[in-house]
Amino acid sequence: MLRILLIDDTEKKVGRLKAALVEAGFEVIEESGLTIDLPARVETVRPDVVLIDTESPGRDVMEQVVLVSRDRPRPIVMFTDEHDPSVMRRAIQAGVSAYIVEGIHAARLQPILDVAMARFESDQALKAQLHARDQQLAERKRIELAKGLLMKMKECNEEQAYTLMRRQAMSKQQKLIQVAEQIIAMSDLLG
Amino acid sequence: MNNTPPSNPLAWVNGSDAPEKHSLNIGFMALSDCASVVVAATQGFAQPYGLSLNLKRQSSWAGLRDKLVSGELDAAHSLYGLIYAVHLGIGGTGATDMAVLMGLNQNAQGINLSAALQRQGVTRPEALERFVHQSRTKLTFAQTFPTGTHAMWLYYWLASQGIHPLNDVNSVVVPPAQMLAHLQAGRIDGFCVGEPWSADALEQGQGFTLATSQSIWPDHPEKVLGCTRAFVEQNPNTARALVKAVLAASRFIEQSAENRHSTAQLLSGKAYLDAPLNSIEPRLLGDYHDGLGNHWHDPHPLRLYDQGRANLPYLSDGMWFMTQFRRWGLLREDPDYLAVARQVQQLALYRDAASAIGVPCSEHNMRRSQLIDGTVWDGSDPVGYARSFALHALAETPAARARC
Repeated sequence: MLRILLIDDTEKKVGRLKAALVEAGFEVIEESGLTIDLPARVETVRPDVVLIDTESPGRDVMEQVVLVSRDRPRPIVMFTDEHDPSVMRRAIQAGVSAYIVEGIHAARLQPILDVAMARFESDQALKAQLHARDQQLAERKRIELAKGLLMKMKECNEEQAYTLMRRQAMSKQQKLIQVAEQIIAMSDLLG
Repeated sequence: MNNTPPSNPLAWVNGSDAPEKHSLNIGFMALSDCASVVVAATQGFAQPYGLSLNLKRQSSWAGLRDKLVSGELDAAHSLYGLIYAVHLGIGGTGATDMAVLMGLNQNAQGINLSAALQRQGVTRPEALERFVHQSRTKLTFAQTFPTGTHAMWLYYWLASQGIHPLNDVNSVVVPPAQMLAHLQAGRIDGFCVGEPWSADALEQGQGFTLATSQSIWPDHPEKVLGCTRAFVEQNPNTARALVKAVLAASRFIEQSAENRHSTAQLLSGKAYLDAPLNSIEPRLLGDYHDGLGNHWHDPHPLRLYDQGRANLPYLSDGMWFMTQFRRWGLLREDPDYLAVARQVQQLALYRDAASAIGVPCSEHNMRRSQLIDGTVWDGSDPVGYARSFALHALAETPAARARC
């Protein structure tokens, strides 16, 4: 059973979404108001999906969403009455996986949540790939830098410098990047 | 033959050969012949092609197979026979289309007997044959995977000495790094395994090497870089980049004795083989002793590169394992040997990658070899070859499979 953390930000709406969710067969943990510490609640409740029901998502809501997506990424679905496209754009940027304007029907909830979760997974995979790519580029730059320093120190060519660095790394059971960092640190020290 | 490499149509639209996936999980087993994969991942051979390789050590071949099929591993250091068994649906999983991206090595596996057999004077093949046929106790031999290369070397060698591997001895599966423990506990009398675990058993005084795999077939195919066919089809640029990185690493290792030496040091690390340098380095350099006082420099030692000859995924290499599956009853009918090998061996992709980084490639898709029993294998008549052996299990129900 999917576990849903449901956040209602206004008194008058309490119960409106919960009834629909329970009817559709979800486990619902409800919180009223957005004065709570959302990231901390996500950490304790460990929901499969965070559902935010808000009349109009203001700055405070967005702030909480940004924190959750950064620290404890979960699929977030936002139900709202706010039609303004710029608000919707801000919500998506903040990390909302699905933004649904009006109309909550029990029958439509499952497909909406499915789409939100699929979307969330593919975003996460993309982020991981981008992160790996950034790290590769950063490592490559450091290795190039170290290679340049070594070429100067040893008056050798590029291939010889790589081979020296690799032999050093392998004989110490280290990765090439570790030896590159040591060379850079040593060069800093020697000025 | 499928001459058009499966490709992502978007790659052509974008005119890009950039990898579709940048971060890959690569499985390996703690064996000396995983060297090229470990060196590629740790020594900066993959970044220039836009890849990060995350090494994932596995504790058994069955576990590695399951993760490869589920996609938890993108590619892995694999037994030739493992890839073909999954492709043909033999063993614990249903059939999944598989791919061999490149060969990782030739040679360097060993058949060893226990110190107890040595004390009883069983130190020669003929003595083993007499012991097996005259003694009441049935000996137990371990290999590493029911359809793996070690099972096939063990069966082939035993049969070449007149010992039927399925009838005359018991055969069990033990993960490579656990061979020594099973030997010490007296659960097995002999075993076929990759280095450094043969050399390690000798170092510990627990056994001796009766035959090397290269004495069965000089320069035989062994480990491959394997993945699912779906992975190659969805990520052709990534697959090509991966082959370039691993091939460049294999070339680097064999460039000099110093590089081989440093490679042995790296492999002995806890994260990789976690074994003493003494057990790894000599045989990695081709220096053998058999634990009976004989020393030699092997003319067919572990080859990770050999100017690309160790890496080209010859169709005949893949077909050979299928002929042995057939011979031992793991396959009840003849597959279309050539057609299956053409599906699995990614020859076109390999040649693209190899020529892009200046590694020589043979234009032949088959190679000719002579094995220990004098038979010649060149891929030309797999159906006849599978039936050409005096000892076999062709007519049997898949008894061998039941033993897995």
